[in-house]
Amino acid sequence: MKTIVRLPGALRDATGGETKLAAAGATLGELIADIDRRYPGFAERVLDGTGALRSYVNVYIGEVDARTHGGTRAPVPDGAEVMVIPAMAGGAGAAPPRSRAA
Amino acid sequence: MTGRLVLPQALRDEIVAHARAEAPKECCGLIAGREGRATRVIRCTNASPTPEVRYTIAELRRVIEIEDAGLELVAIYHSHPRSPAYPSPTDRREAHWPDTAYVLVSLRYDAPVLGGKGPFGPELHAYAISDRDAVRQVTLES
Repeated sequence: MKTIVRLPGALRDATGGETKLAAAGATLGELIADIDRRYPGFAERVLDGTGALRSYVNVYIGEVDARTHGGTRAPVPDGAEVMVIPAMAGGAGAAPPRSRAA
Repeated sequence: MTGRLVLPQALRDEIVAHARAEAPKECCGLIAGREGRATRVIRCTNASPTPEVRYTIAELRRVIEIEDAGLELVAIYHSHPRSPAYPSPTDRREAHWPDTAYVLVSLRYDAPVLGGKGPFGPELHAYAISDRDAVRQVTLES
């Protein structure tokens, strides 16, 4: 059973510009390995040196956040849609000193 | 990405209104459009536990909805309530969308936020942030 994997934005270049592709695997890790066989380097983009999902890579398996369901061991049900979406985050980072006029 | 983004005044006003509504917390959201022309602002929830100085967009899957609607994510926006409309070290370190513009709005001199004392009003600028933290200004057109 093939799973549809959606890859918006910054990860497109890792799959030759493909934003929607079919992959096979019973777990998220198997899916990533299947994509990596066709697009070498993909796994390195989404996994860190320990094989875990990179901190800024978010994966949803249907409505489920994979990070809270075993990470790469998260099961992928038949017919599920998987979305791999880099984080959107940042911010000023530290409060500047208050203005004397304030 | 190209160095230009068409962001009509009505959408800029929507972003500023969102920033004012959330101040002193940072607001955040998505800007959808096509071929570098923004057509829609989508307010998102800031899920950061320290929203006065950080933002984390909660509704990441809205990106998929934008694409399913035949549009593109042309920019990600957020506010700096008390600091300049320029990517901070945190913004640069956590930028993972090199092909998408980052729109920043600053309220540091904004009159409504400063109790009517602001001399200049809100500032709004756009930037491209590469994977190597390099910042390049994106020209905004109306």
